[in-house]
Amino acid sequence: MNRILAQCGKELNQFRRDRLTVALAFVLPLAVLLIYGYAIRLEAKNIPLSIQDFDNSPLSRTYVERLFATNQFVPAPLLGTVPTAPLDRGIAKATVIIPPDFQRQVTAHKPVTVQALVDGTDVNNARVIQNGLRAATQFFLRSSGLLPPQAQSPIEAQVRLWFNPGRQESLYIVPGIFGVILWVFPSMLAAIALVREKEQGTIVQVYASDLSAMAWLLGKELAYLVVGLGEALVVLTVATILFGLRFRGDPTVFIVGLVIYLGAAVAFGLFIGARTGNQTGAVQGTAIAGFLTALLLSGFIYRIENIPFPLSFLSNVIPARYFIEITRDAFVRGTGWPGVWYAPLAIGAIGAFFFRLATRILHRMQFTD
Amino acid sequence: MTATAPRVTPQTATAIAVHQLRKQYGPLAALKGIDFTVQPGEIFGLIGPDGAGKTTTFQILAGVMEATAGEVTVLGKAPRHARLDLGYVTQKFSLYPDLSIEENMRYAAGLRRVSATAFGERARTLLQRVSLDQFRDRLAGQLSGGMKQKLALCCALVAQPQILLLDEPTTGVDPVSRREFWDLLAAVAADGVTVVAATPYLDEAERCHRIALIYAGEIQQIGTLGELRDSLGLRRMEVRATPLAQAEAALRRFHAEGSLPGGEGTGADLPAPQAERGGMRDPAIVDVQTFGDRLDVMVTEAAAGERAIRAALADPALTLTDVRLDEPTLENVFVNRLRQRGLDPAYVDFPAYRSGKEKGGTAIHTRQLQKTFGDFQAVKGVDITVRYGEIYGLLGANGAGKTTTIKMLCGLLPASGGDIQLAGATDNLNRSEVRSRIGYMSQKFTLYDDLTIRQNLEFYCGVYGVPPQLRREKIDWVLETCGLVGRENLITGSLPGGWKQRVSFGASVMHEPDILFLDEPTSGVDPLARRQFWRLIRDFARRGTAILVTTHYLEEAENCNAMAFMVAGAIVAQGSPSDIKTSQPGQLIELRSRQIQAASDLLKARLEPWRVSIFGDRLHLVLDHPDEELATVRHWLDSAQIDQPSTRPIPFSLEDAFIGIVQRAEAS
Repeated sequence: MNRILAQCGKELNQFRRDRLTVALAFVLPLAVLLIYGYAIRLEAKNIPLSIQDFDNSPLSRTYVERLFATNQFVPAPLLGTVPTAPLDRGIAKATVIIPPDFQRQVTAHKPVTVQALVDGTDVNNARVIQNGLRAATQFFLRSSGLLPPQAQSPIEAQVRLWFNPGRQESLYIVPGIFGVILWVFPSMLAAIALVREKEQGTIVQVYASDLSAMAWLLGKELAYLVVGLGEALVVLTVATILFGLRFRGDPTVFIVGLVIYLGAAVAFGLFIGARTGNQTGAVQGTAIAGFLTALLLSGFIYRIENIPFPLSFLSNVIPARYFIEITRDAFVRGTGWPGVWYAPLAIGAIGAFFFRLATRILHRMQFTD
Repeated sequence: MTATAPRVTPQTATAIAVHQLRKQYGPLAALKGIDFTVQPGEIFGLIGPDGAGKTTTFQILAGVMEATAGEVTVLGKAPRHARLDLGYVTQKFSLYPDLSIEENMRYAAGLRRVSATAFGERARTLLQRVSLDQFRDRLAGQLSGGMKQKLALCCALVAQPQILLLDEPTTGVDPVSRREFWDLLAAVAADGVTVVAATPYLDEAERCHRIALIYAGEIQQIGTLGELRDSLGLRRMEVRATPLAQAEAALRRFHAEGSLPGGEGTGADLPAPQAERGGMRDPAIVDVQTFGDRLDVMVTEAAAGERAIRAALADPALTLTDVRLDEPTLENVFVNRLRQRGLDPAYVDFPAYRSGKEKGGTAIHTRQLQKTFGDFQAVKGVDITVRYGEIYGLLGANGAGKTTTIKMLCGLLPASGGDIQLAGATDNLNRSEVRSRIGYMSQKFTLYDDLTIRQNLEFYCGVYGVPPQLRREKIDWVLETCGLVGRENLITGSLPGGWKQRVSFGASVMHEPDILFLDEPTSGVDPLARRQFWRLIRDFARRGTAILVTTHYLEEAENCNAMAFMVAGAIVAQGSPSDIKTSQPGQLIELRSRQIQAASDLLKARLEPWRVSIFGDRLHLVLDHPDEELATVRHWLDSAQIDQPSTRPIPFSLEDAFIGIVQRAEAS
């Protein structure tokens, strides 16, 4: 135990002396937090929309006002008479064409066709625009009392948003970023620390003693767990200030989960470090593996249920997936242990597996040919 | 003349026993079955070029790598189980640059289960002994090479090992620190610690009790310095004559007529000296080599040798100034041994198409040359003059400012102050007219590892503007000199260091530059290749090329016509090798004693410590007034009851001269 602590102490001493590593540990995570926290917006807002109003009557103008009254659309110039021109030039995502007899037909209670041309390049947003236009039209009819009362549906769905009533997107994104940051950076630091011993030849000194691979790796594990906790504290504090994150309910599951998650990240880093021979390899290995899996297969942005087989199976062994469940629970849902009790267990199992792999690789504590 | 092993630990007769040790890295055999034993308390030297298998041997002895075959016992156990009784200092020192001296030692002690209480005491004693105790909190990354080396030794000694394994701990470190280090080792060995050390410096090898010469994964020879010299069966004569080139030619002609019909003294087809001695002819002269301003002639026997030399030089055009008998060096032993094994590469003349510059004109001249990086003064006012046809050596430890100086002279780095005159140009040295007249071979060979040898050479022909019709011939020359004919399509990255160095040299001289810069051209190269390399360099100088060469091997400086020694960015001594040695005041005395350590301790206390150093079972003393002082020394030793069977004056080596210069400068 003493030897493990001695390892850990030496590792922390080295860490704090190396300014570049300290910067890597604290500045980069914050940069990632800010970039992702502010850059990722999944909900479409301020979509440029052009209008070609052939009617130009009071009613058609009210309709147009109605469309822009939702803060979803902003007006874009039509430029000329061709309705597809703004789409071609990319200044509008949709054009709405109102026919000349719009007011006459509506007041005569005759059906009228309004044409909407939607840019389908961005599949998701095309659907959002489509729904937005329909909803706005519907609302316009109701609010102007144009819809016959018998068309009122007998079942009224009364919707209330749970957990995040204000539909604050940062509440969805930021807890997910924690999953990415707190995986990628601790693992990268641990991998670099291990590989540096190989590069500088200091590992020979360790080989030439009777220290076991287990004790050596545990010392590093412990040291970088401490560093990881420091990173977590900084990132959480900044996120609380900038994005207004607050704990909902019992924070213990988050605290336990965080420690286990950081431990697993460090173990993964040690595994990569044990496998590679130089710092470039260590950084690339942890960064690519970490970012790809934590971004794409963890449910951070894309729903896990949408991931097709066999990649869906892979997502089950991505620790970030479980940790993001924990963070979303801690900061948004607030259900506590009953909701996510299995997540810390799953992360722990995966972390133990990586640590075991690392000790397996180094178990001889000798040079390999 | 057997080595005196100071103390024998009762439980084991031998400290290390190696039998038929083999190591295979894939298709490459690094060790081809080596045998040796090391006695407790002995200093055992492992000498050989890079790639000979030294590091592999150390790694197996230290238990950090498995052998492919063979038996290795360390203190009667498998190396892996003896690890806690071993101290292992690697070439890179295995220190943590971000940790302080004390933290490094504490960590090393913890790895070897030294208790915290024992550590405090031992760390203090050790650090005091190497005079590092006032720097305890300094980070290892900020230490000089000499200090790092001492710290690495302390880290190894803190666990009080029975065996110390030192893998080239002194490479690139300044001579003063190296000598201090070996004095420490002698003291450690006298305490009963067994020391196995590898070194590329042959003068350091002379400080071992026994020496093993290792080459290409095989041990060529083992013995004490005396045994190795005796086995050579040759004597070395230092000959000074003018003009030197004609004298060498005359001697070569003589020994060519005597023993090598038709040969131009390549040495490759030299018969073994034993065979020669029994022969009917009297080929007293076996080998001739130019060293800067003198010739080294290997002869079978002193008197006959001198006669033969005088006869060969009995030409009125030649003036023979001095013939002196000296011990053969370890280099002579090594070279001779490798030649007997037929490992000498063939020498091929360089096809030259234009004559070089007029000899004697100034090629390089600097005045108060300075370079500052931030607030660090790397070069502090250097004045040198190199003439065409001259080999000029720039010597110093790693970090003394040699490479920075060369880079400024080539125009690769702007100077912060002072004047440079290069090939007649004084400013804008980067111009292509100037560049086409200089050749530069850097420390790290600038060859493309993923191209073949031929592609590399073709590339450099193109870069230097060698006329297309001449390219084939030049490339063929390089290939032939390097023994690479038929292998020109090998990938350069797969070549051993020595070969790469020769290809690299070939690439840098293909355009026949007037001025040649060679930055550490021979580090890690075996003695035969090194010899051939110097011969090439001399050929170029004779044709009028000015050559500036840097090295941290002082022995190599003997090849230069003139030299400058740099310490911390400044030149502390300048002149020809002979000038520097003869300008050294006093005399070097070799003293033999059975109580060598006690004698050294006593004399170090009475004289300035740098004047005393242990060389195996001999003591070297620098005395300014030997006539009076020697009697005093003898008296001191007598009153301490230390026996002293013999003393004799020996000539200074360049190393001795520099240590004297540096130490005297510090004292005043």
